[in-house]
Amino acid sequence: MSAMDGLAGVREKRSSRRSGPNGMDRRAYGFLLLAVLLSFWELSSRAGWIVSAYWPPVSHIFAAAIAQLAGGEILLALASTLRRAAIGYIAASVAGIVLGIVLARNRVLRYGLLPLIEIVRPMPTPAVIPPLILFLGVDDALKIFIVALASFFPIFSNTFTGVAAIDDTLIQTARTFRTSTVRLLARVVFPATLPAIAAGLRTATSLCLVVAVLSEMIAGSSGIGYYLVETQYAMRPDLMYAAVLYLAATGYALNRIFLALEARMVPWMGRS
Amino acid sequence: MRKALVWLGLAMMGLVALPAAPAPAADLEKVRISIIPIGDVAPLFAAVQNGYFREVGLEIDTTPSAGGAAGIPGLVGGSFDIAYGNVVSALLAAQQGLDVKVIAAGTNVTDPKLDATGIFAKSDSGIKSGKDLEGKSIAVNTRNNVIWLYARAWVKATGGDPERVTFKEVPFPQMEDALRQSRVDAAFMVPPFSIVAAQKGGLSKVGMPYSDVQPGVDVGQYITTGKLLAARPDTVKKFVAALRKGIEWYNANLTNEALLTLISGYTKADVALLKLAPVPTAPVRSDISQIRKTMQLMIESKLLPAPLDLDKIVDPLAR
Repeated sequence: MSAMDGLAGVREKRSSRRSGPNGMDRRAYGFLLLAVLLSFWELSSRAGWIVSAYWPPVSHIFAAAIAQLAGGEILLALASTLRRAAIGYIAASVAGIVLGIVLARNRVLRYGLLPLIEIVRPMPTPAVIPPLILFLGVDDALKIFIVALASFFPIFSNTFTGVAAIDDTLIQTARTFRTSTVRLLARVVFPATLPAIAAGLRTATSLCLVVAVLSEMIAGSSGIGYYLVETQYAMRPDLMYAAVLYLAATGYALNRIFLALEARMVPWMGRS
Repeated sequence: MRKALVWLGLAMMGLVALPAAPAPAADLEKVRISIIPIGDVAPLFAAVQNGYFREVGLEIDTTPSAGGAAGIPGLVGGSFDIAYGNVVSALLAAQQGLDVKVIAAGTNVTDPKLDATGIFAKSDSGIKSGKDLEGKSIAVNTRNNVIWLYARAWVKATGGDPERVTFKEVPFPQMEDALRQSRVDAAFMVPPFSIVAAQKGGLSKVGMPYSDVQPGVDVGQYITTGKLLAARPDTVKKFVAALRKGIEWYNANLTNEALLTLISGYTKADVALLKLAPVPTAPVRSDISQIRKTMQLMIESKLLPAPLDLDKIVDPLAR
């Protein structure tokens, strides 16, 4: 899955940063490309190559981004989106990890639950929002549920396959010492699966933010998703793009935080 | 660098923990309303701002939903007590067996001079009527809704066959771009987008579906459920009375700068932008004969299989 690709990418990035003096130069190239694209945007808008109310010059967007900070509204919107994303993410993490381990180790439960999970998994999240409004309303319950639903699958499947891939010697060794099942799961299976779990959690980290924003765009009245739709209908594309900018920065920051935590808490990552 | 980012993250989590609840008002009955943040609901906000709801003991809690998509499902699911929505959605909901009741009028189109909606086409496209659009495409915000219905009716009224026109879903904010880039041949636009599009040149208004097809059409209404109406009849009565005061204030202040500031407040649109569009009057009562005409159009477009009992759907309160 993409989780694994992403993980490979991280390792490559980490090692490239450590590797030698060229790393800094390569980063500078990246920023250069960004700067060229942005000036191209600015030019296309100012010179009238693209005539649209939804193509403001980049400089207007940056100005709007600074003005937004002063108003504080954008931070409140961001906070309510992050709050929903966080609650849904935590719920999905607990459910995904527990079910992943239990289902991988217990055949009866696996046969009972796996078909249901496999059927729900491919459903596109936006498609289930309208019927869910009927049961969960349009407020937090709906959005948190959707975030949890979307975040659950990468966490669950990574955990599930992670458990299945554990070296049997580990388990047999523990068995030899007559370790109880609970202890076996907590002290052997869980730590051995942690790298796989971390991969799933990381995929879910970016996903939970995306889905939280998406759910706010369809229903409700707060959060960044709603703000994006609202400013679009108010013909304020500068505010809209500025909000997108904050969203991108948030996603980036979340990813960095995750990597920092991962390095600290799963030091044997990639070494199992 | 990494440490700084961790701190940034922790600071964000701190923000997450901020309490979001505003202080509750004492002794007021709360009424939850789903709205669309457009000019249509200005009388409601006028009534809130002028304290008309407070006077009758109600506290209005509005939940905007940009497309209005959450309105009726949220109403039926119990998230809202009242929803502002268009006539077609209400009749479709009734057709599906949902217990919806129209309790107050919202918007209608009586004066063509104040009708800023319209079908737009590129000025050099030669499109003038529905006949010219056969084999071509019209942008509507959603299929099977009020915009789609009246775009079809307009095509028919101007000599075209709606079945031979392709209706493409394009959100209102993107219609002008779609039209200029020739992704569609025409678009049914509403203010402020129609006003801004017309100003820049290159596009022409070729028709006004509401005014051309059905002058006086009741476009929007406030809707509740029969269950809520039976359980809290006094609340609904108070709501309608206070809303009517809001409508009266609105109609008396159509050219008042204060009204535009009010609209700007809940739509985030600039007052300068709002000044470009004429502000239409708002109806005090729903016109059941107009709703009946809309129902006929819906039957012709196969949105409804048979007439509905409008006397049951439009509550006497609204009339």
